[in-house]
Amino acid sequence: MLTPEYLTQQIFNGIVFGAMYALLALGMTVIYGILRLIHFAHGALITVGAFCFYLFFMVFGLPFPAAIALIIAVGALMGVVLDVVAYKKAVGGPEVSMLITSLGFYIFIENLMKLIVTPQPYAFHTPEYLDKIYSMPMLTFRTIDIFIIVISVAIMVFFQLFVKKTRMGTAMRATSESGEAARMLGININRIISISFILASAIAAITGFMLGAKYGQIAYNMGFMAGVKAFVAIVIGGVGSIPGAMLGGFILGILEMFSVAFLPPGYAAYRDGIVFFILIIILIVKPSGIFGQREVES
Amino acid sequence: MLNVRDISVYYGVIPAVRDLSLSVERGQLATIVGANGAGKTTTLKAIMGTLLPKRGKIEYKGADVTEFPADRRAGMGIALIPEGRQIFARLTVKENLLLGAYHRRDKDGVKKDQAWIYDLFPVLQERETQLAGTLSGGEQQMLALGRGLMSHPELLLLDEPSLGLAPIIVSDIYKVINEINKSGITILLVEQNINMAMKVADYAYIMETGMLRSCGSPEEVMNRESIMKAYLGE
Repeated sequence: MLTPEYLTQQIFNGIVFGAMYALLALGMTVIYGILRLIHFAHGALITVGAFCFYLFFMVFGLPFPAAIALIIAVGALMGVVLDVVAYKKAVGGPEVSMLITSLGFYIFIENLMKLIVTPQPYAFHTPEYLDKIYSMPMLTFRTIDIFIIVISVAIMVFFQLFVKKTRMGTAMRATSESGEAARMLGININRIISISFILASAIAAITGFMLGAKYGQIAYNMGFMAGVKAFVAIVIGGVGSIPGAMLGGFILGILEMFSVAFLPPGYAAYRDGIVFFILIIILIVKPSGIFGQREVES
Repeated sequence: MLNVRDISVYYGVIPAVRDLSLSVERGQLATIVGANGAGKTTTLKAIMGTLLPKRGKIEYKGADVTEFPADRRAGMGIALIPEGRQIFARLTVKENLLLGAYHRRDKDGVKKDQAWIYDLFPVLQERETQLAGTLSGGEQQMLALGRGLMSHPELLLLDEPSLGLAPIIVSDIYKVINEINKSGITILLVEQNINMAMKVADYAYIMETGMLRSCGSPEEVMNRESIMKAYLGE
């Protein structure tokens, strides 16, 4: 039934999912901006982040903050590995070779995870204090929802401050506009690329934890859809724009929840299909997205 | 200060510059002129290090920098102001300028240079917080010059600073180029606008189809009619 309570609840759910999509889209946009690479492998980091949390928190029994700190570290480390092993050699070559490298890296990690953890989904638990349910007149939520929103917004705010206010961030924006011009000014592009991978990968790993906590289960292939949706969020917001990617994430989250909420019950399973349907509509109506810019002629 | 010896630069298998040698003395304003496609821009890129020569040697301040990447050469005091300016359109004027000083650690020096640049181009100070993409063509050229100067260069490489600008703005830009040179910065200027370049230069090189055709003082070079013919394609 379409009551105000129901509507509020769905918008709230949309914001929670949107926050996670926004975080993923943020990382992918930064990498796209600098390397013009659609970073498929981003999804692999989501899976790795979620399973590492499982390992540290549930298997080893580490305290929650320590487990979170560790998955951020693992994500950052994976970023270094990706940069050094997969991309260092491909940078400067044809763009398609990086794309294939990225896709290959994703498939490799997914299969590796399948081998290690088996295709069986795992139940995912968080500390009890994150699982508490609060019921209000208009809204029911768990602590984890608030955790996701607060942490996501905090990361996005810090990231915006980083790219807008710091020397390194300004250099990053300059590099994404023109790598050659940036290099002539003495900016070490390789370092900018490394830092982008480290930041984006660390953010993806923590998002993996959030997704696991929200769904209550994790699986070896959980990163795929999430990564693809992050890319859809980027297209909605306008490829290349950081605020666009974040806005696109929220829009996508809310649209997805609405499509689940307003369709007859049997159709909820088609939510991913609906997401792509929306993508096609947007591509027809506004190919450059909400904040999209035309490519600047060089 | 700069010694280029017998360099050949290729785009893939196509040679753009062949066996080119030139040298620039400290404090000089040297120019490379020549028709479109003569290899002038390629030469500047090789000196900056964004393109590496296949053969030959580039010496700068007595050191062999042939294999150094561009960001390292920038740190040694070489700055290239590229053709078409290549300012960062989505960054503000001030951010563009400060990126010019990216590798510098001397905060006071950066402030001083910034003040000097605002002195040279007052319009940049007025538009400090504007996005660089909103500037006019002439203002963008000023910003590109200012950004290059922010690195406190010893050798400034200028690629076609007059390209696409109205004559009155070109003469303004050239006044400043002269002033920059007087302040002690060595300049290597690439131009298609031969009259403008010859007026300000101490020494001139003429390039044709990737090779050096002639060199000497601007008067000498201008007097050699055959060369003028080659330039004009007669």
